[in-house]
Amino acid sequence: MTVAVCGLLAGCVTHGPLIESGKAAVELVDTPFYPQSTYQCGPAALAIALEASGVAATPDALVPQVYLPGRRGSLQIEMQAAPRRYDRVSYELDPNLASITAELDAGRPVLVLHNYGLPVWPRWHYAVVIGYDPARQQVILRSGTTRREVQSAAHFMRAWDNAGRWAIVLLHPGELPMVADRARYLESTTGFERVATPASARQAFSAAIQAWPEDPIGWIGRGTANYRDHALSAAAADYQQAIKIDPNLPGARNNLAQTWLDLHCVSAARAELARIDESSLSAALRTAVADTRAQLAALPVRADAPQCAAL
Amino acid sequence: MKYNKLRTVLIAVLSVAILNTGGIQAARAAIVDTGAMMQTGRDADLAIIHAQLARDDVRAQLGQFGVASEAIDTRLDALSDSELAKLAKRMKDAPAGKGGVIVLAGAVFIVLLILELVGVIDIFKHA
Repeated sequence: MTVAVCGLLAGCVTHGPLIESGKAAVELVDTPFYPQSTYQCGPAALAIALEASGVAATPDALVPQVYLPGRRGSLQIEMQAAPRRYDRVSYELDPNLASITAELDAGRPVLVLHNYGLPVWPRWHYAVVIGYDPARQQVILRSGTTRREVQSAAHFMRAWDNAGRWAIVLLHPGELPMVADRARYLESTTGFERVATPASARQAFSAAIQAWPEDPIGWIGRGTANYRDHALSAAAADYQQAIKIDPNLPGARNNLAQTWLDLHCVSAARAELARIDESSLSAALRTAVADTRAQLAALPVRADAPQCAAL
Repeated sequence: MKYNKLRTVLIAVLSVAILNTGGIQAARAAIVDTGAMMQTGRDADLAIIHAQLARDDVRAQLGQFGVASEAIDTRLDALSDSELAKLAKRMKDAPAGKGGVIVLAGAVFIVLLILELVGVIDIFKHA
């Protein structure tokens, strides 16, 4: 979010073409357009990106969600959070032009923040990149009140540099960006989980598991999605996998114990709870573990259900 | 390393998710969401306290910046703890994209015009 002062200088220096030459030009001509009203480029740009991603959303509907009247604008964090409510995972791209062109190649327009002023006197503006032309070194945008704005790559980069090179794409649950950073994708997905349906959260975490099977986060996230979706056996399997990767995850053990209880697998639940090291627990986890233990103690029937042997 | 720290935070959040939103048997399930799961001990306790403070802070600021009260909770719900923390600190000065037209006069206008012609800025072309 820091403004890059070097952007001003970078504009004067050229190191070969900004857009990799030899690539074919791309323009996502079917991308819809909503002209912005005063100060409201945020809702307009977001509506364009959402609709291009198959979500019916108008700028008017988005104003209450991302427009900040007192700032006469929209903040990046809220622009990134709002798509979650429309079943889309927003992902912040690597700060380079190649990551934008890769997303365009995949058919996804890219929402960017520009600064058309000076670093000390900023003029922030959201726009949607819909195409590029390597031969002409141009970038094509839906921007403000202009349906098809063509900027030179140098011009685009200067305004983008001065805005900290912020760019996001909207992914369907289960899609990965063309260049996926593990930390950023998992952070996006964890934010998405807050408001997502269990089915969508499961798809988003499944994509993480496929890309980074060695990371327990994807397994934990999918386990919880499965649990919420009443798929208890699948939840247990996911939590077990997370614990297998990292045995030192008391939260995953607690959730696994809870899942065993719901499956009426009492011995497994008891065994899992016994493996939790109480000394390292956070307050929230301690409460959860105490609750799980209390449920175990209060069970009227202590026998395992017949299906437990197979799980 | 940076990722390990993030990992801790994400596990903590995800671990407590079921607690927050209610699982199958909301009344009794003690499942923890993935984010809360990744933190342990004191760090996690502090993170939860900070998140709550940040949430209250952001709620107040959204109100001050003119967001209708009925929209505030919806906006808060979509934000993760780390996003709330960033917003709480930076809502006043974080970039706010707008794209409005600037009206200027006199010396300021001339300075801007020169910068524009030289190609340093690009204020006048875009609505």
